[in-house]
Amino acid sequence: MSPAKKRLLRCILALFLIVSLNFIIPRSMPGDPLTNLLGEDAYLTEGSASELRSLMGLDLPLHEQYLAYWRSILSFDLGYSYHLHSSVSSLILSRMKWTLLLAVPSLSAGAIFGTILGGLAGWKRGCGMERVNTAFFLMIYCTPPYFLSLLALYLFSFRLGLFPLKGLYSTGSFLDIAHHLMLPILVMSLFSVSRNFMIMRGSVLVERRSLYAAYARAKGLYGNEILFRHCFKNALLPIITIIALDFGFIFSGALFIEIVFSMNGMGNLIYDSLLSRDYPVLQGSFLIVTIMVILANLLADLQYSRIDPRVRWQ
Amino acid sequence: MAGLQELGFFNSARSSGQQATKREAGTVNPGTGDAASMNRHERGHFGPGSFSFPGFLGLMLFLSFLLMASFSFAIAPCDPWVRFQPFLPPGWGHFLGTNDLGNDILSELIYGSKVSLIVGFGAALLSTFLGTLIGLLSGYYKGLVDEILMGITDIFLMIPQIPLIIVLAAFLKPSFWMVALLLGCLWWTSTARVIRSKTLQIREMSFIEGSRSMGFSDLHIIFSDVLPNIFYVILPKFLLAVASAMIAEASISFLGLGDASMKSWGMMINFAFTRGGFINGYWWWYLPPGLCISLSVLSVILMGFALEERDLETERIE
Repeated sequence: MSPAKKRLLRCILALFLIVSLNFIIPRSMPGDPLTNLLGEDAYLTEGSASELRSLMGLDLPLHEQYLAYWRSILSFDLGYSYHLHSSVSSLILSRMKWTLLLAVPSLSAGAIFGTILGGLAGWKRGCGMERVNTAFFLMIYCTPPYFLSLLALYLFSFRLGLFPLKGLYSTGSFLDIAHHLMLPILVMSLFSVSRNFMIMRGSVLVERRSLYAAYARAKGLYGNEILFRHCFKNALLPIITIIALDFGFIFSGALFIEIVFSMNGMGNLIYDSLLSRDYPVLQGSFLIVTIMVILANLLADLQYSRIDPRVRWQ
Repeated sequence: MAGLQELGFFNSARSSGQQATKREAGTVNPGTGDAASMNRHERGHFGPGSFSFPGFLGLMLFLSFLLMASFSFAIAPCDPWVRFQPFLPPGWGHFLGTNDLGNDILSELIYGSKVSLIVGFGAALLSTFLGTLIGLLSGYYKGLVDEILMGITDIFLMIPQIPLIIVLAAFLKPSFWMVALLLGCLWWTSTARVIRSKTLQIREMSFIEGSRSMGFSDLHIIFSDVLPNIFYVILPKFLLAVASAMIAEASISFLGLGDASMKSWGMMINFAFTRGGFINGYWWWYLPPGLCISLSVLSVILMGFALEERDLETERIE
């Protein structure tokens, strides 16, 4: 089996596992599965409870429930939130765009600046400026994203009044949304830069000890030229998969940042559903986030096999 | 949070298959190659040696947090559950003021170090144990065992841990050791991959061949020949796992999913955030716990960093 097929198989297995886990969790946890499926906010009379039980198929044997569950997942039916009176899939769909609006620019900025700065820091290890950079990003790296956003919010919005305190928009114009998004994106980018910085720095540290780098130096190339012409590409290769794996973590960072900035995205959806124990929304969001992370991984793998000739030839 | 452990600076033997094969190819030559790399492995990774300044700083910071956690009952000025006048600003009676319930924040802070360290180390011990075991087995036996174990590892690696833990914690209403257990069970993956690629290298060396030809059992070879030689990889990985578990614990308690019977830093920030401490500008309520989280994580990362850098120092272009 070729590596690409193997990866694809593993992605599919991971998806299968997650969907099954989502089926198992509410049914195996302590308490009534009906409550676990509907959320603790839904108050039911005895009659409607038994009616719902048969409607949701909870009185069927488990394997039939499982098949029915897969059928509903495949038709994008993630259940109904009795707390918010809306179907979970439409809720997630309406929130998702805001999360993506926050995550996509910051992740791209993080990937670009993180790798370049990290590459430089690894290349010139020990030199003054790079030490300061490394120390700075190490500090950011060690700070939970929500605390970082709290600090930024306090400093820039609360004390200096440069940015709005909460929310996504007040008038809805493009400039207004951009103004609201500026600070969260900044914090998120810092967070994502710090992670990519550390990874890239380590990769370049290893790469610059290799023979071809020594040869390039012997040939008379200047430092930065060796870095950006030769080492950078090679150091970047293993990074692609690592960045993809990190995506899940950075994405959950976005959720926390949203909570602090009171943005109406997935993060706050998950937080609210936690507070009201609205399990369908919680599970649906978990499923969607996981699928996105797995897809990102798959995409990175495909890119990887396109970029790396050693993989292409296999 | 898979990536947190997948950090580049923590290992030269990175997880990607290409890297591993490249390095394997380099170490197959018997004789001098073996001797040289063995020498490197044996040279004092744990001795006093040249422990750099950041590493020293990390160690000192970490020791102070450890002291804080183990003697919190003696250091804390008062019981963190006793209620005084609420919303007191920092002053002589209460160094860091009090929160909305009138609990002394400094005492809460000192007691909070316990959960952070217990969860960090508990989860890291479990995940390192699992990861080492799986990595050793899959690297040593290769073939089908490797395929299956690494397949499982890949699948686990792709699942975003924090959301999964949030979902599980929402249903379970967990205690702090449950959080540690969950984190440990989810985080062995990257350790397993690094250990595997190191094991792949070491199993080809001639001293392993020697043991095998003398008829030692596979398990004996794995645990008394291979394991001691990859120990220097395990330690930085372990420290990184501690750091990530501490951040994860803080994040989970920030969501209000932590153990309500224990004081924790994440929960303090959560209370400050949800009960108006932030909006009213009571910085003494959320700033100290946040700094404590960052500093404790930093201390652990710095120690691992120092170990890793020292490892790089000894490596030369062959």
